[in-house]
Amino acid sequence: MGPTERIIAVFKGKEIDRVQTYCASFEEWTVQQVLSKPFITTKSLFFNPVSRLILDKWGKKISKMVLQPSVDSALMKRLEAAVALGFDSTVLNYEWRLMILDSKKVARVTGSIYDIQHDGHGNVFFYYHGPALASPEAFEAWSDFPNPDDIAHGCYKFYKKAMAQYGEKICIIGDTCTGLHEIILLAVGFEKMLWWIRKKADFIKKLISLGDEISMKTTMAAMDAGIKVVLHADDFSHKTGPILNPKITDELFGDSYARITKAVHDRNGISAIHSCGDNTKLFDYFIKWGFDGGHAFENTSNVDIAYEKKTHGDRFTIIGGMGVDYLLTSRSKPEEVVDGVKHLIRTCAHGGRFILGPVNAHSEEDVSKIKVMIDATKEYGRYPITV
Amino acid sequence: MKEALLDVQKAIVDLNYEDIQTVVRKCLDEGIPAWEIIKEGIGGGMKQVGDRFESGEFFLAELIMSGEVVKEAMPILENKVDTAKIQNKGKVILATVKGDIHYIGKNIVAMMLSAAGFEVIDLGADVHEEKIVQAVKDSGAVCIGLSVLLTTTIGGIKDVVDALSEAGLRDKVKIAIGGACTYEKLAEEMGVDAYGSDAVQAVKIFEGLLEVV
Repeated sequence: MGPTERIIAVFKGKEIDRVQTYCASFEEWTVQQVLSKPFITTKSLFFNPVSRLILDKWGKKISKMVLQPSVDSALMKRLEAAVALGFDSTVLNYEWRLMILDSKKVARVTGSIYDIQHDGHGNVFFYYHGPALASPEAFEAWSDFPNPDDIAHGCYKFYKKAMAQYGEKICIIGDTCTGLHEIILLAVGFEKMLWWIRKKADFIKKLISLGDEISMKTTMAAMDAGIKVVLHADDFSHKTGPILNPKITDELFGDSYARITKAVHDRNGISAIHSCGDNTKLFDYFIKWGFDGGHAFENTSNVDIAYEKKTHGDRFTIIGGMGVDYLLTSRSKPEEVVDGVKHLIRTCAHGGRFILGPVNAHSEEDVSKIKVMIDATKEYGRYPITV
Repeated sequence: MKEALLDVQKAIVDLNYEDIQTVVRKCLDEGIPAWEIIKEGIGGGMKQVGDRFESGEFFLAELIMSGEVVKEAMPILENKVDTAKIQNKGKVILATVKGDIHYIGKNIVAMMLSAAGFEVIDLGADVHEEKIVQAVKDSGAVCIGLSVLLTTTIGGIKDVVDALSEAGLRDKVKIAIGGACTYEKLAEEMGVDAYGSDAVQAVKIFEGLLEVV
């Protein structure tokens, strides 16, 4: 079996030779520790007087020409790093949403604004600043909504290249960056999202419909390029539980996701969802919408991974579970990482439908601890499980 | 309770952003003092929101939205409050640690504490430890609440603890942490006194800390 067939087998509840590993992608600093530091840092590209002048004057105009190739290249490096570390599978985002506004800000073309900041290691990252569509008028005036067919075309080319280079070495899980809930949350803002949903339902439906079309087209484009497992990243919850009432969540997003997962299944693909936080009250809906598994199971949230394995483990694959708050940082000891891996294997591995990996990516991940995690999974994750 | 105050409570529980100012003005027109509107109307409304959140009837979106409704009401009341009439349980300094600009969770905590009779000194987001030490010295507050959403900014908690120790204040204050990336064990690791898993718990936590400080 190749890497993708192995991951698909796990989703189908097969205990293959051992527990598989998943990479939740990386931040730039982690990639550079695995591969090498670039000659010119992104911080020096963004944070210098000449660049500032250019970006302030022509940022938006040169955005597509400059930003998209750089983002594509950075994402491919993340894939390369995941392969180099020996992961069995990795998410690969196709990030099409970014647009430079000026030297201090970028936007997502779906209507949200981000500050350009640096991570202390020479890399820039984009920090959510606030909504750009805080009124229906702003929605009508927003001239930057993308053409879904153009994005799908770019998506196809991106994954085609990734599959050609690394498809035999690792299971590439496609994430086309189209979280339907997240688009709304970020475009209208956290504080008044509920007000928008209650009072401006048509406006919200328009936004969902836009996300729905892009999501379907890009997902199909990724599958055209050879991707078999897709992940929809859409943070529905906080550590305390769902952000929205689960029934409202279902009414707003259920049909769209059910359509998308059906289209994936019709092509013999696998559909998973990434949602941070405690999704305990949402797992039944995720399954109803057709998702075969889910990623995060954040240890810092109130989700009980053992309970979820017992409750939904015969239908829903658990992906993740390893904390990036402590275990995968420099603060932990290697033996604690091994213990964490053993605990997850003991709790979740029986009956397949478990892929072990970090709950998220963040810039302070310690590469040596990631290696310990992968090695320990290979050592203690052999079926039949004996730990 | 007076009908008008019940209307204020209802507007908050119904998340009625549009009508909150009208019902608050009605209270003032009826001669209800601002401190009573805050204590009984807004405080009572936020208590009900908190109860519904804890019982699972309300979710995070409702909790956040209720804060927005209260925010809409406050400008009408701020200059009319006779502070001597408001029960003051104690001062609490709130801040999101340095490097982290998230403020929504902290603001809900601030709203809950204010509504429960605490005096809140809100230092905002991305706050350096020196500013917190200074605020303790200036205000005499004995409780600090630190909010952290990003895992990468966890170190900010320890920096506050260390800065308070250096200033000789650590033994005089109690510190509680909360936010997406926090958990019980982290509180131990960082050397703070309490951890809150959600904003609604903040009232009980600080009431408890004030008893032991």
